[in-house]
Amino acid sequence: MRQVPNIAGLGLVLFFAAFPLVYTGGNYDYVMHVLITGFFYAILASSWSMLAGYAGQFSFGHMAFMGIGAYGAALFSHYFYITAAPTGTCTEFAFFGNWLVIKNAIGVTSTTLTQDCLQQAITEWGDSVRVWRMPVLLGIVLGTVAGGLSGLLVGLLVLRLRAAYLALFTLGFSEIIKAVISAEIDITRGQAGMVLPALFDDGVTILGTEFTRTDKIPPYYAMFGLLLLCLLILTWLARSRFGLFVRALREDADAAAALGVNTTRYKVFVFTITTAMAAAAGAVQAHYIQIVTPNMLFLLQMSLVVAMAVIGGVENFVAAALGAIFLQVMLELMRTSFSIGGVTVDMTTWRLVFFGVLLMVVLRFFRNGLIAPLIDYFARAGVAEETIAKRRAGEAQP
Amino acid sequence: MIHLKVTNLHKSFGGLHVLKGVNLEVNGPELIGVLGPNGAGKTTLTNILDGAITPSSGTVYLNGQRIDQLQPYEVARAGLGRTFQVTRSFRRMTVLENLYVPALALGHMSQGRALTERATEVLEFLTIDHLRNEYARALSGGQQKLLELGRLLMLDPDVIILDEPFAGVHPKLMEVIYAYIRRMKAEGKAIILISHQMDAIFALSERLIVLNFGELIADGKPDDVKNDPAVIEAYLGRDDEEDAA
Repeated sequence: MRQVPNIAGLGLVLFFAAFPLVYTGGNYDYVMHVLITGFFYAILASSWSMLAGYAGQFSFGHMAFMGIGAYGAALFSHYFYITAAPTGTCTEFAFFGNWLVIKNAIGVTSTTLTQDCLQQAITEWGDSVRVWRMPVLLGIVLGTVAGGLSGLLVGLLVLRLRAAYLALFTLGFSEIIKAVISAEIDITRGQAGMVLPALFDDGVTILGTEFTRTDKIPPYYAMFGLLLLCLLILTWLARSRFGLFVRALREDADAAAALGVNTTRYKVFVFTITTAMAAAAGAVQAHYIQIVTPNMLFLLQMSLVVAMAVIGGVENFVAAALGAIFLQVMLELMRTSFSIGGVTVDMTTWRLVFFGVLLMVVLRFFRNGLIAPLIDYFARAGVAEETIAKRRAGEAQP
Repeated sequence: MIHLKVTNLHKSFGGLHVLKGVNLEVNGPELIGVLGPNGAGKTTLTNILDGAITPSSGTVYLNGQRIDQLQPYEVARAGLGRTFQVTRSFRRMTVLENLYVPALALGHMSQGRALTERATEVLEFLTIDHLRNEYARALSGGQQKLLELGRLLMLDPDVIILDEPFAGVHPKLMEVIYAYIRRMKAEGKAIILISHQMDAIFALSERLIVLNFGELIADGKPDDVKNDPAVIEAYLGRDDEEDAA
């Protein structure tokens, strides 16, 4: 009985692993896109669940860290190049026999510059000098590190903040990041957004099958793999002393400290780990959709992640991840409008109402979500019987 | 050899002078009762000893290490553990998990059979072993008091501060707490017992200290303290007519 969640989990992993290979229904690319987006939100919801549900740190800045990862990868791929010869105009450094070139920022409204320094050099060079983009994977790693370091900094800043104060602080941080990205048009291109190379820009071959940059299977497995990696790390952490200590921190930070737990270290640690995961998801998503804009950081997006975690079950990161995938799929399925008695119900709008009602019902009647209690039910099967049996055995003793 | 030394401890909150030059020394395994009316400064003294708040002035040394500027987790690792006046169990964690926290935090045990066996031994002693896999929130108030004591057993500190351990506890469970305190004493711990339960504190303590308005007004054997005029006055008040006469 207690193994049911593990068996169900393994079944789900196998299902999602096989799905792109066996799915034969229509709208293949659209269905894959919905699931890739679902996995993206699942990473955000599960990492937020570790932060808020396990450690009790109700941060509303999770999307800001996702944005830092996304923009970190975008800025890196946009500004950094390797060239075989110096441009003479860009900022550049000798780099293992080639040149590391950093392009100048020209924004989107410059009236004096129509080309950046590298583009001018390429125009002059023609095909005589080779120019390489930076590896996408390196950009994702750097975006992840940038997000994690930002999380470390914020974790240190919010050490003494709890509950609503922590939520407001992180919300403010998120708005600042969004405002800075919007304002620094020269560097970030503001609301125009930044275009990134595809996740597999030159295509990829998997098990002898060649995929182009627009095929959905490679990004599907990339995002799914990242989700599994995050869930494995979270599982390992939750089962280690880290998981025990952050839950103690959530329950009562003062009592945990009085029992020898370095609450400062674990609070900062949980911020760093979970924000790095959000940043990794953002970086991969940015390369998948190939554009980043400040709209990614809208408060509505954060609310969506929170709702997904709450509906799945905020105190269980697997439930939060499943809640995210479930909601993403449901929100897409509910796009289909229908008529009742000649009255057309425009579901593109009404689906959000259903979503809101579902959230309210869950908060009112299912405080730990819809999926987490199921997992808990099976995982704790037999505990009550064991308690009763032990108590009776104790009473029977002379 | 356990040695706790509190010297000239002062604590003010704004204009309120809560502790006024408290001196206290604990040498070796002792069972010290702390008495005082509400507002005497007992909880403030406890909070300073465990690092939750820092004193305005004065020092606290434990086994030669100054602890009054340390964080609570550092104080716990230095060898001082406490319970709280209002029970603070980790409610959404199981009873076993509650016990694992201090043992793993100190790093003297790792996850595995030895840790479970130690926790089981503690739970059996406290008569709540049957609740080991239940969430702490499912326990009664008295059982949660026992769970807090169990966490201290897992922490294994040199000095134990018990803040109102008998408050709201059924007489049957009080017997378990009595046994707990005697066991700790037998294991060589120094125990500082804060309670308003006079019967319990006089039955258990070898030494009593009394605080009143932030000052230590008595320190001695229970019988001597019981008859100390300053203590009687603190608890019963001054008879103005008698004074006038």
